Amino acid sequence: MDSPIINPEFLTISPEQIRALTPYLVVFGGALLAIVLSVLRVVQPKWPVFIAVLLTALAGAAASQMLAPEAEVSLFGGMMVSDTYSNIFNILFLMSAAFTLLVSFKYLDTERMQHPEYYVLVLLSALGMMLMTSAIDLIVIFIALETLSLGVYVLVGFRRADRRSNEAAVKYFILGSAASAIFLYGTALLYGASGSVRIDQILSLVHSGGAEVSTPLFALGAWLVILGFLFKVASVPFHMWMPDVYEGAPVPVTGFMTTGLKAAAFATFLRVFLGLGYGSGLTAVIQSHIHDVLWVCAVLTMVIGNVVALTQTNLKRMLAYSSIAHTGYLLVGMITGTASADGYASVVLYLVAYAAMNLGAFAVLSILATKDDVGLNLQDLSGLSRKHPLLALAMAVFLFSMAGVPPTAGFVAKYQLFYGAVQAGEIPLVVISVLCSAISVYYYLRVLVFMYMREPVAGAGSDKRSVSPWAAIAVLGMVFATLQMGVIPAKMISAARRAVASL
Amino acid sequence: MEISPVFFYLFAGMAIAFSLVTVLKKNPAASAFSLVMVFFAFAGIYALLDAHLIATLQILVYAGAIMVLFIFVIMLLSADVPSFDLGRSHVTLRGAAAGLGLVLLAVLVWVFKNSTPAAGSGLFTVDRVVAAGGNTQVISELMFSQYLWPFELTSVLLLTAIIGAVAIAKRRPAHAAQAATKGVRS
Repeated sequence: MDSPIINPEFLTISPEQIRALTPYLVVFGGALLAIVLSVLRVVQPKWPVFIAVLLTALAGAAASQMLAPEAEVSLFGGMMVSDTYSNIFNILFLMSAAFTLLVSFKYLDTERMQHPEYYVLVLLSALGMMLMTSAIDLIVIFIALETLSLGVYVLVGFRRADRRSNEAAVKYFILGSAASAIFLYGTALLYGASGSVRIDQILSLVHSGGAEVSTPLFALGAWLVILGFLFKVASVPFHMWMPDVYEGAPVPVTGFMTTGLKAAAFATFLRVFLGLGYGSGLTAVIQSHIHDVLWVCAVLTMVIGNVVALTQTNLKRMLAYSSIAHTGYLLVGMITGTASADGYASVVLYLVAYAAMNLGAFAVLSILATKDDVGLNLQDLSGLSRKHPLLALAMAVFLFSMAGVPPTAGFVAKYQLFYGAVQAGEIPLVVISVLCSAISVYYYLRVLVFMYMREPVAGAGSDKRSVSPWAAIAVLGMVFATLQMGVIPAKMISAARRAVASL
Repeated sequence: MEISPVFFYLFAGMAIAFSLVTVLKKNPAASAFSLVMVFFAFAGIYALLDAHLIATLQILVYAGAIMVLFIFVIMLLSADVPSFDLGRSHVTLRGAAAGLGLVLLAVLVWVFKNSTPAAGSGLFTVDRVVAAGGNTQVISELMFSQYLWPFELTSVLLLTAIIGAVAIAKRRPAHAAQAATKGVRS
């Protein structure tokens, strides 16, 4: 390319590329349709918008399911790729969006904030997540990251009359923007150092051992990108925003953040991280630097997340700290993935398992929340097993799964993750992880004690809550997913392996 | 092409001085106007680097459109009353922030001193860009061919932002207004 001219191949899209784009087109089209439906004044907009968005999410997931086993398709001159990895994550994001919607429907009525924008924003954030995971160009990753972040910032502040929600939204917005800026600056430096924003081209530079990638400029750029991601996944030195944001956000949104957002950040992190050459081709010095820094981050994240969670009495806050702890376990998988037999498949498996159990737990909490998210303290759950035996049972399944007790998804995921770490020879890391995991059993089981062994107390939320059929479907679906992955994990494990193999 | 040192130091000095004013001024309108000056100084530096299109866009978009919006918002919110006081209680915090900022500066200076840019900035050398018809033509051709996808995705981003803005700015429902009068004031 001597003089940059319009290259016709960038302007045409072949049929199989259109086919590979189906999930994205379906989701975006559904979002547009929902916007139109929400301004129709003929009927109350909540029903048509809710149904349109829900069906869109399911249709998108079905399309991704269909595309998942197919061969990799490179899109838009290699800026984006549709492979098994991206399609499996697309399913995860869209399902988590769909279950969030199911749970939100009644919740929004209770909170009296039934605005159709809520559903559209959930769908658009999910679209951002999908685009981010399938992008292999740092510019596209950045735009997708901003799309999903903007949607979630607004969702966090959706309860505008509540000061906690406002504070959470502003805090998240400012800190999230700072993290985006750090990520963008890192991208700029990487481009300056390597002359490319495509992570596959950067990786091939790393492999060919060019002089470009051994400069401090490249190292600083790579570090800033990694820091941006560590912030998004709330690893420990950058976790300060998380508990406040999780507490202030509406409960279903918190569930969406812990599953969709975290999975998107990790999935992209993994792609970029491997793209920057971790475990293959970096010089031994840089490799061991990154390894050591992530090692410290992982240990601090696990220890601080678990220890602070011990003292929390608000369930949302407790789950926020437990989510930090789970980030720590995932970082263990990131560190050891290159050296273990299953590679990064265990990270993917853990993300899926974590999404199922966490969405379930937040679905139960959304049902229990009274107006303004009151009634989510430990005491308020006293005697839940008398009032709502089935809800209490579902919550117990999710909590056992988070603690990693068989036969649930959490056990299988943790087993795979720690087994991989043992294979990689990271014995101290595994010992710390397992000890932390043991600590976590205390605060998960404490909730069970309150639900099953305490008398109901009078107070906010002591009356029986009515359960909407939609939320019931969501809880049932998640119980099923959690148990299914725990009892017959082989299917999910092989899917995760295929996903990682396509990277 | 060499950058004229006189103009570089002039614009860089302006940028630093007005950035400091932006951060240190208590009055938001004064901060906003000094930010406009920072953008002008940046535009000058871009022009020195032969990036004339970026320089123009910097003035049109940042100094023009975005800052006008800022100032409108400040005006409409009548934010000249400081809503919080970052007084003496935060001296240690300020010290730490300044110290960390200096550390970052040192790291950046060290990095840029010890790095050379990738192989003479690749495809887009000054001569080549001139031969292909100048900055504007090259950027627009790239934007609508190779970078069409990110360009289109930006519209999805803007759509999300618009819907978010509508969701935030919608008229408050009656019960929310009641809650607001009970002490939860935005």
